[in-house]
Amino acid sequence: MHLVSLDSVSFTYEGKTVPAVDNVSLTIYPGESVSIVGLNGSGKSTLARLMVGLLKPQKGTVLLSGKPIGGYTLPEIGSKLGFVYQNPSLMLFNTSVYKEMAFGLKWKGIKGDELKQICQKYLSFFDLWDLRDELPFNLSQGQKQIMVLSSILALEPECLILDEPTKNIDIFRKHKLKRLLMDIHSRGTGLVIITHDYDFADGLCERRIHMANGRIINDGY
Amino acid sequence: MMDIDIRTRLFISALFSALALFYQRIEYLLVIMAINILTLIFFKIRIKVLFSIKKLLYISVMMIVIQSIFVRTGRPLIKLGSICLVTDDGITYGIAIFLRFIILMLSGLFLLNSNISELTRGLVKLGMPYEIAFMIQMSARFVPVFLEELGDVLNSIQLRGVDLKKVYKRKVINVYLSIFLPIIYSIWQKAEKLAILMELRGFRTSSNRTYYREVCFNEIDYAIMILYLSWAAAFVYITI
Repeated sequence: MHLVSLDSVSFTYEGKTVPAVDNVSLTIYPGESVSIVGLNGSGKSTLARLMVGLLKPQKGTVLLSGKPIGGYTLPEIGSKLGFVYQNPSLMLFNTSVYKEMAFGLKWKGIKGDELKQICQKYLSFFDLWDLRDELPFNLSQGQKQIMVLSSILALEPECLILDEPTKNIDIFRKHKLKRLLMDIHSRGTGLVIITHDYDFADGLCERRIHMANGRIINDGY
Repeated sequence: MMDIDIRTRLFISALFSALALFYQRIEYLLVIMAINILTLIFFKIRIKVLFSIKKLLYISVMMIVIQSIFVRTGRPLIKLGSICLVTDDGITYGIAIFLRFIILMLSGLFLLNSNISELTRGLVKLGMPYEIAFMIQMSARFVPVFLEELGDVLNSIQLRGVDLKKVYKRKVINVYLSIFLPIIYSIWQKAEKLAILMELRGFRTSSNRTYYREVCFNEIDYAIMILYLSWAAAFVYITI
């Protein structure tokens, strides 16, 4: 059974003549780690948005766990696929780092000591515990990225879709992130990494999809 | 679109908006709306955009319903026991508000289809300080960016597990504050960056600003303005 499946999907942005994603067919299996690489404007981020149902394809179908993605609500999709945007500032909704970490967990129904434990675990791991009372918007761009990623990770989705996760992150945090993602993956969580950083993706993902001009030009292990 | 001066477009837009706010009778508003649509068609401005906004329909229906409930005068049409829910005056007033709203939206299309830099030059020619006109230009230019970001924020908050359709009433304010927090931050950040960039590029270092393209009135502009002003004066004279 596949997790996400795209069948002959095409998408053209309004006002554009060239499709951003052109007749792409792709299957992501549960627990698989996949990197999607390609030049700027090759359609990687659009493909990711189609996979999480943020964009509706003009042609083709997108299935999530065998059901058309249009049949799910966004919170339902979010419980299966954890999606992190390129711009982390758009994913910060609270006035402190701790509240930000707890936000999604509270909506999931976690509270009390369990909530505190999970928040502490993730914030400590990413060296954000000392900054727990800070306004998330005051963090550096890299720290914001880590903040958002950790708050999504805490929700334990079946698969993480990360759009340029290493953008703005220093080399130390990058290695740490890589180790964490490897650990998460070894426990069965799928990974889809959209990146320019081939080094980061190669050691982490077993499958690489190469995109150019909205099409998949290579898909291999 | 026909090549007319931006100030003429501003004038027509203001004229229709003023007439819409002045009248309350449905038949007059219908005439103003018809002339407004004919003008847009004559100037080859696409009005389809307006009718493709589905939310507009919901807003309109809501307006009619709200007005129908709150206006208490007139003949009762729907009654619940001794309580009068909807009156004919309420419905008439609701339809009038809806028509006004449509006329204002149609008038806005004159400006939406204009070049934003041209609008700035037109406002400066009308005597507005350049700094203010530039601010208007910038805010108009960033509207699509903010709409896109708002869409992203709405999507990401839902992906974090918040079902906006099922949020409890007491949590609604908190959720909407959470939505506006990243948007306000983004606006503030963009404004700050833009201010720095503008200063780096020497914004207002010289008090005399010159333009590569000047906006200027020609005979057609005068003719159009006189025509619309005469029509508006005649309309007001006949209807009052």
